Amino acid sequence: MSHDATPPRLPPKPIIGLERLAGVCLVAFGLFAYYASSELPFFTQGGVGSGLLPRSLSVLVTLMGIIQIVVTWNEPQETTGRWPIRDMLPVLLGIFLFAVTIRGFDFGAFKVPVLGMAVATPLAIFCSGLAAKDVRVGELAIFSVVLSAICIALFRYALGLSMPVAPWAIGY
Amino acid sequence: MIDMFQNLGLGLSVALTLNNVFFCFIGCLIGTLVGVLPGVGPVATISILLPVTLALDPTGALIMLAGIYYGAQYGGSTTAILVNIPGEATAVVTALDGHEMAKKGQAGLALGLAAIGSFIAGTIATIVIAAIGVPMTRLGLLFGPAEYFSLMVMGLVFAVVLAHGSLVKAVAMILAGVLLSCVGADMETGRERMTFGLHMLSDGIEFVVLAMGIFGFAEIFKNLADPEKRDVVRTSIGRLLPTMRELRENVGAILRGTGIGSILGVLPGNGAILGPFASYAMEKRISKRPQDFGTGVPQAVAGPESANNAGAQTSFIPLLTLGLPPNAVMALMVGAMMIQGIVPGPQVIERNPDLFWGLIASMWIGNLMLVIINLPMIGLWVKLLQVPYRLLFPSIVAFCCIGLFSISNEPAQVMLAGLLGLVGFALWKLRFEAAPLALGFVLGRLLEEKLRQALIISDGSMLTFVTSPLSAFLLAIGAVALLIAVLPTIRRSRDEVFKDA
Repeated sequence: MSHDATPPRLPPKPIIGLERLAGVCLVAFGLFAYYASSELPFFTQGGVGSGLLPRSLSVLVTLMGIIQIVVTWNEPQETTGRWPIRDMLPVLLGIFLFAVTIRGFDFGAFKVPVLGMAVATPLAIFCSGLAAKDVRVGELAIFSVVLSAICIALFRYALGLSMPVAPWAIGY
Repeated sequence: MIDMFQNLGLGLSVALTLNNVFFCFIGCLIGTLVGVLPGVGPVATISILLPVTLALDPTGALIMLAGIYYGAQYGGSTTAILVNIPGEATAVVTALDGHEMAKKGQAGLALGLAAIGSFIAGTIATIVIAAIGVPMTRLGLLFGPAEYFSLMVMGLVFAVVLAHGSLVKAVAMILAGVLLSCVGADMETGRERMTFGLHMLSDGIEFVVLAMGIFGFAEIFKNLADPEKRDVVRTSIGRLLPTMRELRENVGAILRGTGIGSILGVLPGNGAILGPFASYAMEKRISKRPQDFGTGVPQAVAGPESANNAGAQTSFIPLLTLGLPPNAVMALMVGAMMIQGIVPGPQVIERNPDLFWGLIASMWIGNLMLVIINLPMIGLWVKLLQVPYRLLFPSIVAFCCIGLFSISNEPAQVMLAGLLGLVGFALWKLRFEAAPLALGFVLGRLLEEKLRQALIISDGSMLTFVTSPLSAFLLAIGAVALLIAVLPTIRRSRDEVFKDA
């Protein structure tokens, strides 16, 4: 759904290639897990130690990564394409804002008070909604308020989840 | 045989209480809703509702959650036919010919056949569950830790064999899933493993957090990166009910689909997802005009839809009889049972016969409700499809956040799921499948527990897995399946089954 009508260009030459990159990621994950579990004992006197499974699995994952790199080495490689981090940022921020406002959060330097669902939910909806390319800010603002009211009614009152609603206004 | 009907009778008497009919209806309604809406799956929905079920009685809670699962299968086909987006992973095949039928003005017929096929499949699958439930439970009682361990290994091998695409990647994902399940306190010694001193990880990564991250949030990121074209069918839907002649032409496809789906659904390692693909391939093979497939052939909708629904139901069998979840939704059902203090396994049928038979009977009632919810109310669901994605995904974000927070009133869980969403997106970019990861994660802890128990019993000897005949047999099946999958000829035909679709 691109808007530009330029003639199709040759795809950019991959630096490492999708399939090989997948292998590299597996190796990295395996090695990291091995490091994380390296202190755990393999066997104990009673039998299986807490390190047996994590460490053997991380070796296997690393091995799979190496196999993946080897078997795809000579295949024609594709790029992974665009990583639209900027498009995803509002959603991540929305999730983050929900997390820090719902029950308050202590950053050390400053503290976010407990703002409850009444603030956290509309914030999350509005902020993440900004990620849409066809966003209409007015519509989104109204929608976030209406949906939040529905959410509070549904989850707090109808379903009885114990979540702070708006402690600063109604005390819970 | 008489026993089975007595048991089903007991089940019906439980499922037909006003309370349980109500929960069944709510479940089917929510299921249809999330099935219709692309981007919200049954996994995310059940995860959100999991904390809520705490307030319900166990039978009602499980009836509702099961309704969400098979209801989503019905709803998913509606979206597949009308919008050409599979609302649910298993509806991919339905979209092929279903949407073509819709373009020809036969949307109603496609929807009708899908619903009738699903209902027939659901009815037969219910009877299958009732019939093999008891023998499977008896088998389950023979299982010691070593046999359970081997059974799970076999299930994970099947998950590899049945996954799309690269075998190496599927194996890696399963191993990574099991590895992630090791995070947290050691169940025997309480020693923290791979937690980096983070308090929130000391109980391990919550399955719901993982599922919402790699299925819920990652799906949103995917859609933002790669906006899907929605072409909602604008032509009229047409008549819904097939004529007697059309029904006769499709009943074979429906029954074959039901058979294939029922068998594959029981397989550990999410065989249910393979059902529609296999049914499509079969219908194409036996059709007199295989070249027409892809241009709107009714049998290509009726068969896979029946397979899909039958598989969704028979995948309850390993959960209810052996306590082993074959897929992510069933893993959440384990969670729901544990919340209620019911340990899944072969003992459930003895200790909670009301729950066991009530749940099974409710599936039949639910299937009946779904026909009613789906066909006459189709206009409503079409309206719902016109909700623009720009408003839909912020709502999903809100629901997920609330659900995540409610697990343990812990904001850090919400953030962790957000990060896992990024991981899920990266997996998608690198063409890894998330489903085997989730399955490995689900079975990981059980796997380690059984491994330990088996080795304690055998005094540390690994030979216990091959000296027990049952365990050796299960491992042998797994090994054969893996060998077959690696053989180049079989691999090619496996790829064809998926490519057809």
